[in-house]
Amino acid sequence: MLVLTRRAGESVMIGDDVVITVLEARGDVIRLGIQAPRDVRVHREEIYRELQAANREAASPTDAVVEELSRTLRPPSDQGDAGTQ
Amino acid sequence: MSTQAVSRTHGDQMITTIPTIHLAAPMPGFPAHTRFALVRLNDEGLLYAFTSLDNPELRFLVVPPDPFFENYTPEIPDEALALLGYPEAEDVITMLVITAGKEATAANLLAPIVINTVNRMAVQVVLAGTDMPVRAILNRK
Repeated sequence: MLVLTRRAGESVMIGDDVVITVLEARGDVIRLGIQAPRDVRVHREEIYRELQAANREAASPTDAVVEELSRTLRPPSDQGDAGTQ
Repeated sequence: MSTQAVSRTHGDQMITTIPTIHLAAPMPGFPAHTRFALVRLNDEGLLYAFTSLDNPELRFLVVPPDPFFENYTPEIPDEALALLGYPEAEDVITMLVITAGKEATAANLLAPIVINTVNRMAVQVVLAGTDMPVRAILNRK
């Protein structure tokens, strides 16, 4: 991991297109501003990791699972379609 | 402004197979897969496979939020709308990735897959800043 020290108001560039700026540093809490092209997704790491894990867990269920869900997936209650369109 | 799935229910086909869908950004955990197809798996239109065209061994089971989560109207962040080409609300469909567990099936409300049916761009949108669960129980086996 590359370690850099910055003060509030200073920035780090990643490649040509990503800029991370320390907006405010108050005790334990650091506010960061991130500029990146829109196809570069920026997330809090723990959210990203959680989503990554959830996607991996969801990926490629077995045919048996698919078949069962196909049969059993039902709306929560049979309250009759009121058709609220 | 609701971004609910298109719900033209006067026909029996709510959503039919849509040819190649392009992910504007890959799904977290699967950086190599950007081309997908949406395949309807049951007659009620409640279960679909989101299958990778880059490697068909990879697929996700997805469901429309309706009728499972009736008040689910996620606000799509601007960055995602930009990636999708700023679709009209009625051109957007939303799908939730589901995971079959031993006890129950869970849907990911935190990161829906949002599809622009006109240009067929899609993205898995992370609803950051909300407290949407990544695992919301869908039904009990």
